[in-house]
Amino acid sequence: MNYINIALPKGRLGDIAVELFESIGVDCTEIKSSSRKLIFTDEKNMVKFFLVKPSDVPTYVEYGAADIGIAGRDTLLEEGRNLYEMLNLKYGACRMVLAGPAALQGELDKMTNKRVATKYPRIAREYFEHRRKESIEIIKLNGSVELAPLVGLSELIVDLVESGRTLKDNNLVIFDTIEDISARLVVNRVSMKMKSEKIRWIIDQLRKNIEVDK
Amino acid sequence: MPNWKIYTPEGVQDILFDECYIKRNIETKMRDLFRRSGYFEIETPILEFFDTFSVDEDSTPQEMMFKFFDQQGRILVLRPDLTIPVARIAASKLKDAKYPLRISYIGNTFRYNESGGGRQNEFTQAGVELIGKETPEADTEIIATAINALKAAGLNDFQIDIGQIEFFKGLMEETGLPEQDVEQMRILIDRKDFIGIEEIVNRCNIPSDLKELILDLPRLFGNIDVIDKVKKVVKGKKALDSLNYLRNILEVLKDYGLGEYVFIDLGMVQSLNYYTGIIFRGFTHGVGFPILSGGRYDNLVEKFGVKLPATGFSIGVNLVMNALERQKADVEKPQIDSLICYEKKGRKTAFEICDQLRKQGLVIEMDITMAGKDYVETYARSLGIGGIIHIIDENLVEIHNLENNEIQQITVSELVGTGGQVPL
Repeated sequence: MNYINIALPKGRLGDIAVELFESIGVDCTEIKSSSRKLIFTDEKNMVKFFLVKPSDVPTYVEYGAADIGIAGRDTLLEEGRNLYEMLNLKYGACRMVLAGPAALQGELDKMTNKRVATKYPRIAREYFEHRRKESIEIIKLNGSVELAPLVGLSELIVDLVESGRTLKDNNLVIFDTIEDISARLVVNRVSMKMKSEKIRWIIDQLRKNIEVDK
Repeated sequence: MPNWKIYTPEGVQDILFDECYIKRNIETKMRDLFRRSGYFEIETPILEFFDTFSVDEDSTPQEMMFKFFDQQGRILVLRPDLTIPVARIAASKLKDAKYPLRISYIGNTFRYNESGGGRQNEFTQAGVELIGKETPEADTEIIATAINALKAAGLNDFQIDIGQIEFFKGLMEETGLPEQDVEQMRILIDRKDFIGIEEIVNRCNIPSDLKELILDLPRLFGNIDVIDKVKKVVKGKKALDSLNYLRNILEVLKDYGLGEYVFIDLGMVQSLNYYTGIIFRGFTHGVGFPILSGGRYDNLVEKFGVKLPATGFSIGVNLVMNALERQKADVEKPQIDSLICYEKKGRKTAFEICDQLRKQGLVIEMDITMAGKDYVETYARSLGIGGIIHIIDENLVEIHNLENNEIQQITVSELVGTGGQVPL
């Protein structure tokens, strides 16, 4: 009998995921004991967990190193991996938006060349090329994206927004919502077939729990 | 400027003895199976015109092809697959062939994959195409050949999922959704993205029973019961016909004795333009990607000028190797049975014995160092060679079994009679 391998993102998203798996009867004591181990096992349910950098979750799952992964929809879109996106876990909700200085409101179509600062170059490029049908210059940043338009690094930003406070405080406004984002459960395409029964069970249980919570 | 002379470019690799041995064995077994099934092999150029591969935008996007220019400035590519060259040939050089036309190939193909993704840019594909007939028997023969090829390669624990693209097309016709929504829906179903599917279905005006069926599509995989379950709710003719076709295929495969390998996946909806009927993928433990893919593509050959139905599959040989390795399958590895060294008086005899033993199928290495017995023994041990055959003169042979360290002198005729198995 084979183990089910689950890749969890380090950090807040992963912590909530652990609780979710616990709620359906998976033993997560090992993972919560914060030891230095890299792989945590629940022998009874034949489940193995490992914690990885959030943006690496889709890679582990695509290659089958993990059968199941938990990742934000932002990460999934940015990585563009070939996976089954089976379940909306409904937490970690926020939005991927196009934003910029209030002065640009209504002026977007008049600008010939746009520079867009973002942590998500792929999402930004696809949004502009496929939805707005225009070419843009992407400036890839690793954080504090809101700063870029304030200091003239870019005109626009594409970023995740939860409450919108940071934007407001910096006189930035949202021009468009690109995607609604939340945590998702993804499954490797081969695992879904070869370990079908067990994976389906996990998904059904999680789905029930999420619906009860709602 | 850095000098790259001892490196290989990203995405390609050297394949050395053990791996190469295993790979060639897999290829040989598959080639043999293709031949015995009446699919004779063809070889096509590694370099082709870009135009050949751009007839179908769905099969390989242009950014994934290695491109060059020829002397006239035309765009060349390293072939990204082998089905399209076969279609090109079927519509040109073989257009007067008798049908059905059976073709097989084993060759390397090239695709740019994302660097750092761990995926190779050069990989070997082995496959067959059956051109000119569109019977369910053609489709089942292809699936059966695919299964037998995987079995021949040494895989036992695998499954083939069969879908039917016409089923999806039929459902979509019933909904009356515009083309771009259909494509959007296809992508979502292919990803089993329940959330996205629900969004589209709710946005559009679709009858409620159809709606439920579409929402259920990503879950519709498993054994033959899936078909019967769906048949109860499907009303459209196209969708029903396609289900019956699929059921028939499964029945035929049962008679092949291969029923245990096949499953249904109605949510398998790759590329609506390329595939026109059944579509299938092969999966096994230890590899995160399908090791095999195939299906019916009745519109492809037409793009080269002759309308011909066609069906086929291709196997990723490198992926099969990975699977065998990860499943710890028992695979044959290169091994030297004996090493022959000789005294001058026994030289002619040594060559004769070597020749005979090799003809008997043994792997024999001749000593060419002439560095003496101690050196030869050390060398043979380091390579794990089973034994040393030391030819003393035209009659006398000393046999040194390196496994149990026994040494024995026998005559030449005794040795050849034992088939080279050290008689200790």
